[in-house]
Amino acid sequence: MQILSNSRMGARSDAAVSRWARSAARAFRVQPIHATFVLVVAVVAFLGLYPCAYLLYGSVIDTPLGVPGHFTLGNYVHAYGDPAIYALIWSSFVFAAGSSALSVFLALLLAWITIRTNAPGRRLFEITAIIPNVMPPLLIAISWVLLLNPNNGLINVALTRGLGLRQSLFNIYSLPGLIFVEGMNLTPLAFLIIAAALKSMDPALEESGKTLGSSELGVAARITFPLMRPALLAAATLNFVRAIESFDVPAIIAIPARIDVFTTQIYREALGSFPPNQNLAAAYGVGILVIALICVYIYRSLTSRVETFATVTGRGYRPHSIDLGGWKYAASGVAFVILVMTLLLPLAVLLLVALLPFYHVPTWATLHTFTLDHFREILQNDRTYRAFGNSGFLAVAGATVCVLLAALISYFTVRTKIAGRSVLEALVFVPWAFPGVALALGLLWAYVDFPIPIYATIWILFIGYVTRFLPYGVRTVSSTVIQIHQELEEASKVCGAGYFATFRRILLPLMRPGVIAAWIVLATIFIREFSISIFLYSPGSEPLGPLLYFYYLDGNYGRMAAVGLAITLICALLVALAQRLSQSETG
Amino acid sequence: MIAAKLKHIGVFIGLFCLGSGTALAQSTAVTDAAKQEGKVVAYGSLESDTVEALKQAFQRKTGLQLEYWRASATKVMDRALSEYRAGKPIFDVVLTNSAPMHVLEKAGIFAKYESPAAKEFPSEAIDPVLGPRYRNVIIGIMYNKDLVKPADAPKNLQDLLKPEFRGKIVMPDPTQHTTTAQWLASLYKIMGKEKAHKFIDDLAATKPILVESLLPAARRVTSGETPIGITYIKYAYMYGKQGAPLDYVRLPKMLGDGHYITLSNKAVHPNAAKAFIDFFLGDQSMKLMAQLGEFVNLKGVYPPLPGADKIQFVQMDDFNGKGFAQLKKDYAQIFTR
Repeated sequence: MQILSNSRMGARSDAAVSRWARSAARAFRVQPIHATFVLVVAVVAFLGLYPCAYLLYGSVIDTPLGVPGHFTLGNYVHAYGDPAIYALIWSSFVFAAGSSALSVFLALLLAWITIRTNAPGRRLFEITAIIPNVMPPLLIAISWVLLLNPNNGLINVALTRGLGLRQSLFNIYSLPGLIFVEGMNLTPLAFLIIAAALKSMDPALEESGKTLGSSELGVAARITFPLMRPALLAAATLNFVRAIESFDVPAIIAIPARIDVFTTQIYREALGSFPPNQNLAAAYGVGILVIALICVYIYRSLTSRVETFATVTGRGYRPHSIDLGGWKYAASGVAFVILVMTLLLPLAVLLLVALLPFYHVPTWATLHTFTLDHFREILQNDRTYRAFGNSGFLAVAGATVCVLLAALISYFTVRTKIAGRSVLEALVFVPWAFPGVALALGLLWAYVDFPIPIYATIWILFIGYVTRFLPYGVRTVSSTVIQIHQELEEASKVCGAGYFATFRRILLPLMRPGVIAAWIVLATIFIREFSISIFLYSPGSEPLGPLLYFYYLDGNYGRMAAVGLAITLICALLVALAQRLSQSETG
Repeated sequence: MIAAKLKHIGVFIGLFCLGSGTALAQSTAVTDAAKQEGKVVAYGSLESDTVEALKQAFQRKTGLQLEYWRASATKVMDRALSEYRAGKPIFDVVLTNSAPMHVLEKAGIFAKYESPAAKEFPSEAIDPVLGPRYRNVIIGIMYNKDLVKPADAPKNLQDLLKPEFRGKIVMPDPTQHTTTAQWLASLYKIMGKEKAHKFIDDLAATKPILVESLLPAARRVTSGETPIGITYIKYAYMYGKQGAPLDYVRLPKMLGDGHYITLSNKAVHPNAAKAFIDFFLGDQSMKLMAQLGEFVNLKGVYPPLPGADKIQFVQMDDFNGKGFAQLKKDYAQIFTR
């Protein structure tokens, strides 16, 4: 009887499923955009909410996941009950706001010089500006310590000896030092977002300004920069949150400077405590999530009138170059100084570390000790090749999937009026807001017992990367989509094209600078990703991030620098290729 | 199917021989069964270069593959616990230091395995639960000879308090770094309680430069950024052989931590794991580790660091989670005031 009943129920449910499938297929044919939207929401919700649900759950229980426990708010009381935490949140805010502002200022200056002026060497500056994005923050922080530490930092040593000073001029172990190094870390990402938007801008408004008698700089100040607001806010928001959750730079600089920020507190109290208190880490992570969601809300409010920013219209355009006259050399000089700080100096230090048997301040007497041993060691090690192979796959395949998803999400959230689009945007940003290490824990918990056996394979890294870094792709692509005027899509639809034809033939080509910028951002992050990889990789699927970290952990700085240089070189070629593709479209 | 049967037969033979009692039979049976399994997966905090050298030797000797997942001790513990609690442990062997090992042991993760190689270790280096303490990581005072002449170098811990060394000492932040908190809390074992408390207060008053862990402390001494550091003294050998002008202070007694290797009770490759443990604790492996600068506990085997054979090792105290949290709180008041 029971069997009969089950079989009838089964037949009934089969029929229901079949009806649902037929109606879904019909809906897809009639309104494919809605079906695609639902599919994208489902994918994003699963990617983001599944691991985050584990973290949220972890934040309100009193035992590690996998161990039976009780509901508690004790983790939140512990995390936020001490008034001292608010002083740390404030110092983190100052640090993150300062770093973000510095990075956006430098990136805007560099993007404007390289894309909108006739400064000599601008193309070369444009290509090289993105390369520092491939350098792990850990390496950049170590480089700046070796350059600007007050005792034997190379720049300080050169200045004290050259100028006969009695005391070092700079001290990296300070709040300005911390902001400066994080700012250098964040500038390439801001540059990518701002440069993509600048490339997509119709010069008609600027030309009108000039016709009405405004000077070139007046046009830049009153027309170009205000029109750049979505991209500037996107870059500032991304970088602010990135700095808030950053641990690498504070670990190297803030601890010796005795500056406490939110992430050093999370490490001390939760992740670095013994044994690590993952429940408390999750409660801290939720705090950062709230900060990030507030940032997203502010960003959405400031860019909600998207029509204001629509500058890519149906008219043919080509961003024009501003003739700076004699000032063009000064502009090149400024761009060069920015690149020296973001790229050349850290690279030079890395090269020095890679060439010395052990790092010390080189003198004429120690020049003979320079060696290629560190490069030889990494070339003779199978582990290096395997790590390059794994990271290469994750960078190319992961960035491509992520960008496709980002393009669809940007289209839905910016371009359509579909109910629930703001939910989609919020879903994207949920995993981003957790500190990397906390999210990695959520991913580990979520996928270790997943029915599809992806745990202990490279696919868990793939899913982890896409989950965590999708917001980077969405922000970068969205800042370009916002600038595309709706008249182009309307014209396409009037001509009989469907949603997908319009998306593929009109929007995607116009989004191309943003899409390529997003791909570069993602591929360069993926190739050296660390915080997720360290938790989720298994023997055999080790990517470059953990390899670099273990060289650091084991004190093999020479090999770490040699691998860092190799990554930088490979990525420079990747960036140059992508830039060329981008230019062939817009130029 | 046949492979599965063979595997079961292999496991049966392995278990049978274990009961027979002779070390030789045990070792042979384990090796035979291990060959059916092909590889062993180890999670540990032992440095990758050391493991790489051991891996080559292990593969040459047994034909078995070693897959190694390296992380800091707490991450090793975290991952092993998470996998175990989820019922999906992919590790066969764990090798890390005492405190995380005891946490894992209390969680019921380990199987008891008495390796025949254990009998070569001195009895004081054998933990009743975790087995042989295969290496000691020893914390002491390391200095840069270009910046501090050996004659002017500190001779003991008290000398660190001298005015000439103020601001010239680097050490891990005890409010961040668990092992350093443990080291400070265990100083009483080599200094006496009152002296140790006063020393900690006075050391904090000299405003040492605080860094995230022991390695960055060594790096600063190696590069000459800071003349003196509290760090693992093995770095004096490891960086010294690359040409760095380093030496360490010959303290009469030095505190440190012990490291262990243990078998998971849900090992996917139990026999390969046992074969690895046998090899790892054996003579060849211990000598290889010592050559790379490790203080192993095999009788008469020392790293090539001058004076290594005269070092009197004192095991630091172990603390539980609450104990460490209290220590970090106490040191936050002392070191950041």
